[in-house]
Amino acid sequence: MINDKDSQKIVDYIQNFSRKHSLFVMAYGTGCGAIEIPATMTSRYDAERFGIRGAATPRQADVLLITGYLATKTLKRVIRVYEQMQEPKYVIGFGSCTINGGMYYDSYNTINALEQYIPVDVYINGCMPRPESVISGFIKLQELIQQGKADNGKRYRENLEWYRTNQKKIIKNWKMPDYNW
Amino acid sequence: MTDLIKEQKLLENVTNPFKIKGRVIRNRRVEVFCDKETVSSVLLYAKTQLGYIHLAHMTCIDWIDENKFELVYTIWSPVEKVHLFVKTKIDRENPEMENIDRIWDQANTYEREMREMFGIEFPGLKGERDFALEDWEEIPPMRKDFDTHNYAQQTYFNRPGREDAKDVRETLVERSGTEVPDFAKKYSRER
Repeated sequence: MINDKDSQKIVDYIQNFSRKHSLFVMAYGTGCGAIEIPATMTSRYDAERFGIRGAATPRQADVLLITGYLATKTLKRVIRVYEQMQEPKYVIGFGSCTINGGMYYDSYNTINALEQYIPVDVYINGCMPRPESVISGFIKLQELIQQGKADNGKRYRENLEWYRTNQKKIIKNWKMPDYNW
Repeated sequence: MTDLIKEQKLLENVTNPFKIKGRVIRNRRVEVFCDKETVSSVLLYAKTQLGYIHLAHMTCIDWIDENKFELVYTIWSPVEKVHLFVKTKIDRENPEMENIDRIWDQANTYEREMREMFGIEFPGLKGERDFALEDWEEIPPMRKDFDTHNYAQQTYFNRPGREDAKDVRETLVERSGTEVPDFAKKYSRER
């Protein structure tokens, strides 16, 4: 005889276990960091050992990698991609440009802190991070998923207005379809 | 060393018909200075008569102290293999320049970029107004009087500790409690 709470625990465990071992990464590169992704995916570092592999469209993907500096023009596309992704969805900020602007901290055209616009699960520092650190970032994300802490899609839905305010501060001409989650 | 024969010859060929000034910078580099009005005729002459058929680059320099924009047209001859810089200065207030995309089609791209980044108008220019930026409302960003640091501070969210370009070495020294090694002092920004 197990009560509902315990059975939910088991279900959650299995769910999280399955999720963390099949991370489909959106094939979308911004900035210079995307050059590290082929190295991470191919035979030397072979990220598919951890269940990390590419996905062609946002609707099939679980993870969105923001690889490097993010121009305001690209931010618009990133938001569109992020909103089309199905939950559970995770974001990895990649390189120092997504953390504090990096070498583009005083640029008129690149954002400085990514988590003000879309929720970020894991940041990987470095300029650029090597494939080892990319994989270690993914492993950190897997730990968060197993613990059930990676629920940023929910956080984005609940705080949508706050994110929208920040996004609209930069994207003045807001002509985007309204994606229904 | 080369004795710059073909460069001198080119300089004479360009400057004599238009009575403009110029100089040989070094081997394979020649520059001429001309008025706003004569630029297109110099370019057309160099293209049709002297074989400078390739527009390598067009750029703009903001001389804010002189209150001028300097436009530089770099053209190149595949036969002589010399770069010819045609330079002109235009006023910084309401800058306007002749559109040369009837001579070279690819000038359109450079002119659109200059219109966006410096605010120079080229009458009759084809294409959208937005080139690389989207919905830009400030003054053109590559002008010297545009404070990009200040703009970034006000527009984007700065993480604490990254407000300025201060050398992080001092912070590291404070944190670790050690002294700066000599080799590091040598490359310090503030000496």
